[in-house]
Amino acid sequence: MKRQNVRTLALIICTFTYLIVGAAIFDVLESQKETTQRKELDKRKGELLKTYNLSADNFNELEKVVLQLKPHKGGVQWKFAGSFYFAITVITTIGYGHAAPSTDGGKVFCMLYALLGIPLTLVMFQSLGERINTFVRYLLHRLKKCLGMRRTEVSMVNMVIIGLISCMTTLCVGALAFSHFEGWSFFHAYYYCFITLTTIGFGDYVALQKDEALQKKPEYVAFSFIYILTGLTVIGAFLNLVVLRFMTMNAEDEKRDAEQRALLARNGQAGGHHHSASRGLRNVYAEVLHFQSMCSCLWYKSREKLQYSIPMIIPRDLSTSDHHSGISSVSTGLHSINTYRGLNKRRISI
Amino acid sequence: MKPQNIRTLSLILSMVSYLLIGAAVFDALESESESLRKKILEQKLNELKKKYGLTDDDYREIEKVVLQSEPHRAGRQWKFAGSFYFAITVITTIGYGHAAPRTDAGKAFCIFYAVLGIPLTLVMFQSLGERMNTFVRYLLRRAKQCMGLRKIEVSMWNMVLVGLLSCTSTLSVGAAAFSHFEGWTFFQSYYYCFITLTTIGFGDFVALQKKDALQRRTPYVAFSFMYILVGLTVIGAFLNLVVLRFLTVSTEEPDMRPEEEREEQGTQPKISGCEEGHDMQGDKEVLETDAGASETGYKDSEDGVRHVTCSLFTVSNHWFPLIGMYLSSSRPSRDGHVPYNERQLFKGSIRPKL
Repeated sequence: MKRQNVRTLALIICTFTYLIVGAAIFDVLESQKETTQRKELDKRKGELLKTYNLSADNFNELEKVVLQLKPHKGGVQWKFAGSFYFAITVITTIGYGHAAPSTDGGKVFCMLYALLGIPLTLVMFQSLGERINTFVRYLLHRLKKCLGMRRTEVSMVNMVIIGLISCMTTLCVGALAFSHFEGWSFFHAYYYCFITLTTIGFGDYVALQKDEALQKKPEYVAFSFIYILTGLTVIGAFLNLVVLRFMTMNAEDEKRDAEQRALLARNGQAGGHHHSASRGLRNVYAEVLHFQSMCSCLWYKSREKLQYSIPMIIPRDLSTSDHHSGISSVSTGLHSINTYRGLNKRRISI
Repeated sequence: MKPQNIRTLSLILSMVSYLLIGAAVFDALESESESLRKKILEQKLNELKKKYGLTDDDYREIEKVVLQSEPHRAGRQWKFAGSFYFAITVITTIGYGHAAPRTDAGKAFCIFYAVLGIPLTLVMFQSLGERMNTFVRYLLRRAKQCMGLRKIEVSMWNMVLVGLLSCTSTLSVGAAAFSHFEGWTFFQSYYYCFITLTTIGFGDFVALQKKDALQRRTPYVAFSFMYILVGLTVIGAFLNLVVLRFLTVSTEEPDMRPEEEREEQGTQPKISGCEEGHDMQGDKEVLETDAGASETGYKDSEDGVRHVTCSLFTVSNHWFPLIGMYLSSSRPSRDGHVPYNERQLFKGSIRPKL
């Protein structure tokens, strides 16, 4: 089976397994509390009915009104500040639901708004995230130079570590701020920031809903908006660094397969009798170079010379016929070795 | 200014303007109806308070109980079916909020669950979406061949059209189904499907909350889960087709390496191996092949495949790179090609000091 298909199948199976495991664990963690809480609330409800001399129907009436008033508890939700907050939750796909369009016109506009806004926002965050990664890479490179280190290249590990640190910092800063402004515990505020910045957005905790903050505390409102957008950028930068490459893997493989097919077709025209021999050779060649590119990677990563010599046999003659081939590992192997100091001179040609 | 910076700045400006315009329009659409409703509800509340002789404090007590009971109204939310539903809303980032972990342990686990689950799901949907696009491209090409058209290559516009059609039909199918099962109007169901499949997930409409469906109507539960996951795949495939290229636009990176190395490379395409994820083989042509890969818009996106190998090696220990290497092989796949045994790399003498 093609590699892409195997990869996709593996991912599907992983995801389903992950869901099942998660469901089981959440069941264990929450089910009991749910039953206990429900019993308590039923008891409490019974007490209230008795205290205030209400029938079940009366209570249902009250319940209906209470639930309908719920979105209004957080203050006016649809004036400009609130609408801006709502627009943010739509195009970033956070979607708290603390305010949701009640008019049909609002719903229609919401859908159209999301249709254009979500791709725009995705591209924007990735674009800005990539710029930030580049800038950080540059700063780190300068820093390494200033510190007088031998190797001033910025490795992937450096970037990942910095990314992780910035994500954690963003979450902690937000947790501190919101626990102060909203009166939540630090953990709950951290949970809120996490759920917001991953765009899950349950809505169990929502900022700017206390004391009519949307209308009365413009600085806090501005801070919240900026925090959400900046936080999403930081997370987006980290995703751009780590996850985005995985999303294009299948397409890369398809591209390479297509190129090979074209190459085979071309070579087939050139001369049949070379075909199987060169294909066999190419197989070996590809293996060797794959081996070499991984070895060079490991060598580079370990930052010290390996104690054994890797046969650096790069048949130059073979490479010319494969010049246009999709065996990009050829060029990669060649060039990744080129990148590293000292190896350039050691390239052996047969 | 560099083109990337200009692009980024204009995107930021566009987004801010988009938000401002959206806020203004939502304000115009919803504000009045909101204040009207609030007035009516408060009036009704005062009437009820008078009718039952409740003080403000009394009411607040009742209100508290009612609001706390709200999530329980829809039935058991945390048995296996409900937890599975919740797990879906977490890793797909839909996040309705109809059920949210109450215990601190649940919240903490939710955080860890999301940290691993969300990237897994993102990659899975993109991977499956790309497979679907390839298959559709193949089908379309065969269809064109059968119909005897002159040009049998599948253009980008063909794919976009098919993508749009599939998204619309997915939404419509869902709308029809949920309006039947949940008793919503077709428009409300359509709105629900849209909000769900774009992963916004307000939670104003949530499926499986009526008549204890999670515990009693297992086929409907299974249908809902499958619908959400399949729908997200269709949307993901469309995003993979149209939007992903913009996310991976290759940037002309300033070479970070010291001068001497840059000289040595000359005019060869810069491949930094483990270093950076950018400035790749811009020289690679997009080949027009019979496989129908033409005009699919395979841009010179960064060749992340080899970087995966490197990054995975560094980020984890021995066993994980094996999985990573398998997932991200830079080897060409060919018929009859015996897979290279990665283990041989690690057994024996070649063990890097990481």
